[in-house]
Amino acid sequence: MNEITRWQRLKDELAQVWTIAVKDIRVYYLQPPMIMFGLILPFFLFFSFSIKRNIGAEAGIAQLLAMTTFFTASSAGPVIIPLERRLGTYDRLLAAPMSLATLLIGQTLVGAFFGFVASVVPLLVGVLWLHVAIADVALLFAGLLLASLAFSAFGLVFGSIPVQSVGSIMMPSTLIRWPLLFISGIFIPLGEMAPWARALSYLSPLTYAQDLINIAVSGTGYLNPWFDLGLLLALVAVFLFPAARLHHRSRILGY
Amino acid sequence: MNNAIEVDNLTKYYDKFLAVDHINFTVMQGEIFGFLGPNGAGKTTTQRMLTTLLEPTSGQILINRHDLVRDAYPAKRVMGLVPEESNVYAELTAWDNLIFTAQLYRVPAGQRAARARELLETFGLWEKRAVKVEAFSKGMRRRLSIAMAIIHQPALLFLDEPVPGLDAQSARAIREMIRQLNAAGTTVFLTTHDIEEANQLCDRVAIINHGKIAAIDTPERLKAAFRRVQSVEVALEPEGGADKATLSEFAGVTQVIKAGDKWRLYTEDPSSLVPKIVHFAEEKGLRVTHLNTLGPSLEDVFLEITGQAIGTVHHEDDEQKMRRGKMGGRK
Repeated sequence: MNEITRWQRLKDELAQVWTIAVKDIRVYYLQPPMIMFGLILPFFLFFSFSIKRNIGAEAGIAQLLAMTTFFTASSAGPVIIPLERRLGTYDRLLAAPMSLATLLIGQTLVGAFFGFVASVVPLLVGVLWLHVAIADVALLFAGLLLASLAFSAFGLVFGSIPVQSVGSIMMPSTLIRWPLLFISGIFIPLGEMAPWARALSYLSPLTYAQDLINIAVSGTGYLNPWFDLGLLLALVAVFLFPAARLHHRSRILGY
Repeated sequence: MNNAIEVDNLTKYYDKFLAVDHINFTVMQGEIFGFLGPNGAGKTTTQRMLTTLLEPTSGQILINRHDLVRDAYPAKRVMGLVPEESNVYAELTAWDNLIFTAQLYRVPAGQRAARARELLETFGLWEKRAVKVEAFSKGMRRRLSIAMAIIHQPALLFLDEPVPGLDAQSARAIREMIRQLNAAGTTVFLTTHDIEEANQLCDRVAIINHGKIAAIDTPERLKAAFRRVQSVEVALEPEGGADKATLSEFAGVTQVIKAGDKWRLYTEDPSSLVPKIVHFAEEKGLRVTHLNTLGPSLEDVFLEITGQAIGTVHHEDDEQKMRRGKMGGRK
């Protein structure tokens, strides 16, 4: 077979990223765990924590947007990869002529797509039903996009744990994702937190998404929006590293 | 002729368990190479290492002279893989499965539809092209899985147990397809535990057991070993009516072992031994409650080739069995 140039290979791998993302979107958009964790759960959480608490519509919608994006985007990896491992279809992807980075970026796009699309639901609820006026629409879309990518890559870390069942991944995934809800400035704004709690919140990727969405929806936040945007972008790359390491571990263990 | 696969000292440990033990072999371009062994012998582990799905502990694999550990990309471009379980997307149609694979393997856009159509017609799936694969039978999924593995026209095709579990017609069609692909120049690496399948299809066969290769030869030359480990299994009543020494005296019997309440008599010619046993039973007034001719088992072939006495099968302890089942086969 003819040797291919680096440029050709780059073009091929970009096309493969797209191929994987489109396939996964078509195959998994109606998977029960995706609907459960992505769309239904954030609404339950929202009503659980907001009923009888006198929060404004803007703040409520910002919370709901952050939670929906977080849970939907970070659910894709832990659902899709173990499921494909169990069915053997993941071997088809691993054996294909492409780098692991291509596969991981393709998987990240899938979660990001689901997260971004799911966030449209609370956005419509806020704008059409509660008549929330979005302060900065462009910033909101940029924030939702980058947050979806970062959360999807975050979920990919759990999905890469060498197991073959969705159930085995749900425990570590839930144990880590749920506590983040309470330290990320969703229910208690960053400005009202004790210094030690705020320091803890900076460890959570959700903090930067919530802050950015607060700024975009209501015009007020705690951090600089450009810092939030930059950090979410950096987190995409940061989360891909442990995902790649865990994939390598799977290749050694034989999963 | 160049080698399609060169394996040098390939070894795989799962923790402390040695699954593949310093094996060496080469597969020439254009041949059908059988990798034969009983369940848990190390076949699938080896094939997963050859297809980059599993990282070797040590050793070297060259695919068309490309080192798989150093840079798998050129090797992956020329490989096709049909795993034991048909790994097709049940939520997609047959057509979409093929087009997805063609896109994944970067088949030129102008050729994808034509190749997908040709393969669907060849495999008898054209009429079902728009049906979601979840409605397919096991045989149809298998055919689609093979079609997906060859849509990019690989020079080297790995097939893991392609036939077991299929109806006779599907099995025959797949064997014929393997022959046709090989005739068109594709090198085939066939993993199987079926001696007869390897005999029918392969130019050369490697026999592996407990992670070690016992022999690599043509099926014809290995047949001598296969013949020596055929046997007749018989149960006689009353049970004490025959003993090992008496049964060993039958002409052509090379070995006699007790297997539960039955005797197993090893011979190269089971068909002529059966009437002798029946005649013996009549003479002694014994009742034949069970009589069966057995083909060669791979465990026995392995013992025969390695010069070990039949009936001295190395028994793994429970933990080892579990690890082989879990790690090696990945069922």
